[in-house]
Amino acid sequence: MTKKTPLKGIAEKLIFVAVILAAWEIVARAHVFGARSEIIFPRLETIARAFVKNFVMGYAGVSLWVYLFNSMKLLLEGMAIGILLAFLFSGLCMVSHGFHNVYSLVVAVADLLPGVALLPVVIIIFGVNPGVIVFLVVHSVIWPMSRNLIDGFKSVPKLYVEAGRNLGLSGAGMLFDVYFPAAMSYILSGLKVGWARAWRGLISAEMIFGIAAAPGIGMYINQMRTNMNNAEMYATLVVIIIIGLVVQYGILNPIEKHTVVKWGMRKL
Amino acid sequence: MKKLLTALLIAALLCAVPALAEGAHLTIAYQYGLAYAPVVVAMTEGFIEKAYDGDLEVEWVQMSSGADINTGVMSGSVDVGFMGVGPAITGISKNVGYKIFTNLSGQEHGLMSNDDSINALEDIVGSENQVALVNIGSIQHIILAKCLSDNGYDAHALDANLVAMKHPDGMNALMTGSLPLHLTTNPYIFRERETEGLHEIEALKAAWPKENSFIVGVAAVDLHDNRPELYKALCDGLTEAIDYVNGNLEATAALTSQYDGNSVEDEIRYLGMGSYSAETQGIEDMARFMFDNAFIEADPGNYSNLVFDNVKGN
Amino acid sequence: MSALLKIEGLCKVYDDDSREHAVIDDLNLEVAQGEFLCILGPSGCGKTTLLRCIAGFEHCKGKILVDGREITGPGTDRIMVFQDFNQLFPWLTVEKNIQFALKRQGIRDRARLEAITSDVLKKVKMDGHERDYPYQLSGGMKQRVAIARALALKPAIILMDEPFAALDAITRNTLQQEVLAISQQENCTFIFITHNIQEGIVLGTRLMLMQPGGKIAIDTKNPIARPVSPSSPGYGPLWDRLYAALYDTQHANNT
Repeated sequence: MTKKTPLKGIAEKLIFVAVILAAWEIVARAHVFGARSEIIFPRLETIARAFVKNFVMGYAGVSLWVYLFNSMKLLLEGMAIGILLAFLFSGLCMVSHGFHNVYSLVVAVADLLPGVALLPVVIIIFGVNPGVIVFLVVHSVIWPMSRNLIDGFKSVPKLYVEAGRNLGLSGAGMLFDVYFPAAMSYILSGLKVGWARAWRGLISAEMIFGIAAAPGIGMYINQMRTNMNNAEMYATLVVIIIIGLVVQYGILNPIEKHTVVKWGMRKL
Repeated sequence: MKKLLTALLIAALLCAVPALAEGAHLTIAYQYGLAYAPVVVAMTEGFIEKAYDGDLEVEWVQMSSGADINTGVMSGSVDVGFMGVGPAITGISKNVGYKIFTNLSGQEHGLMSNDDSINALEDIVGSENQVALVNIGSIQHIILAKCLSDNGYDAHALDANLVAMKHPDGMNALMTGSLPLHLTTNPYIFRERETEGLHEIEALKAAWPKENSFIVGVAAVDLHDNRPELYKALCDGLTEAIDYVNGNLEATAALTSQYDGNSVEDEIRYLGMGSYSAETQGIEDMARFMFDNAFIEADPGNYSNLVFDNVKGN
Repeated sequence: MSALLKIEGLCKVYDDDSREHAVIDDLNLEVAQGEFLCILGPSGCGKTTLLRCIAGFEHCKGKILVDGREITGPGTDRIMVFQDFNQLFPWLTVEKNIQFALKRQGIRDRARLEAITSDVLKKVKMDGHERDYPYQLSGGMKQRVAIARALALKPAIILMDEPFAALDAITRNTLQQEVLAISQQENCTFIFITHNIQEGIVLGTRLMLMQPGGKIAIDTKNPIARPVSPSSPGYGPLWDRLYAALYDTQHANNT
């Protein structure tokens, strides 16, 4: 087996991206979709210009930064609440059999419900304010996260628990010093799924429920779509991709590297 | 590798052949709701096929927004679409490659409130009262802007008060008191008018009466220029469908109520409150207003630039 | 002189498939301070259950007293070394694994923690591996660290449940010699479960053979002078006696 250098990994990714971009450009220049192909399938240069335009001019005099800022604020709020609640409820599941029974049912049912379908109910409960979006983000994070946490806690080897008890652990100490690190792989994949679900949940919620006073990125995309500004729309998707990559490679992967990979519990 | 390519090529040809070998083919995209009643009639009664001299296969596609239909027409996968006059004008200004070939319907719009202290535009402008409507930049938004402009306010004076949500969600929010105002269209507006405790802000009614164009049909320029027989069958079929609706309200209701989920009695009532006509009304004004107030970036031009030459109206 | 460990009327019933099954029925045992008790016995005779009861992992009837006090659950006065190599926490380095429980006992001083760690690691010949993570160690090395972790806590009793059963013969012999040396230096009592008669004779100062149902068939001082080798006087007869008893119980069990 040859040892792979990190540089080679990066090169592979870059080549892949270059091929995709080249393919896009070829399709765009070939006017595959007829004479007006440029509007629905713009060239890279057009998208790049639109990218800059999104931030400099934005829509109706409001820069994309403002939309991004609003969305990120709601996203982080929702994720923080969702993750915290998932930890709380999954922790309770380990303590109480009855709670576990009920909560597994709740997770199984609630995880199936698309957030936007809940919108009418949520509006009735929360009123018309950004709390609705936060709620939908919480909804998209809490269930997959809970699934992973409960699976993770359940799969903690009995051996660690007994060794922990033998060394004097119980209650919260056991939870923090044994259950959390032992379930770290599950916690991390829960975070990955939760993060992706939260992003998508946020954007799809904002696309159909938009408060003009606090406009978000989903509303921006919808606006660009309605106005047939496809280049600007693609450029906004690029922004979403960039944020996703920053989180994956800048936050999640380093956490993984410094925990489960370092501990030999998982390969990178 | 060569074999694979050959196989792919053959597969592609096999897919393409039936479309070429059979008679004429037309893809029509429409949307959901009472305002599209003549389209449902034309589809179920086969009016377009009957008006065409030859073998015609019509493919009906239900889409959920004018923006989707615009993309479909531009990519060449949709020949004909029915959409709000707003997205149609946007599409023409963006040079999507279609023009309006018929008017379809006009509908009532209304601005309803559940708050007794809100009775006129002056109670809303400058306040924090939220107004729910289906989408920012939608026809309802433009009608609100026009209403503001007609009454001496800035067209965008209420932009920061808007909340975009689907018609039924907005109706729910209004009825449960989650927000004070909802701007909506047939049939939701009728249900809200019949609901106790809600009252109407009258100023909006005049901004875009039901005789004005609301839903229009657009056809690809390519269809109009290169397949005139097919284009004519399309226009004739739609005109017949519109006449059918106007002459047979009950039969129409029996057809459309299956799709709309209303009782036949309600459906007859709601259909009666709409206005179905092939003749356009007010679209040039609308286009001008949209351009003047920055709802679109490019000038859509005058009436003849908006419609094909067979269309009557203004 | 009273015994360090005193067990009176111990009963343990497992409840599987609604059929009650007594693993240990009325067991009485005393172990004196400094003894190295090796328990032999066929599979299912209840020796592991006995050890787990002493460790406090199982609910059982009867009394278990350590130093005169009745035990109610696990405690750091009785540390278990499991057969499974994965008993170390994989998310902690070797030294952190050892210091983990020490910190919980209130030892916060870094210098003292490090002194204890390096002392116990030297005892098991694992010095130099302080910063390694468990996955970087072989099975034998992990067991050494587990023993070091137990020693660091200075427990009254170290409980070992076939800790070398999964090791290769050479590593096993080396570790036996090291545990023997440690047991002679430390002021600690060992209870050591094994399948292996040779291991029992080499390590134990006292040998016990259990029969199914937790009956004690043989309980004897090891008469052979240390260090024990197969050529030591008395090794053969003792081996034969244990083997016969073990074989008989196994035979009886099978028929």
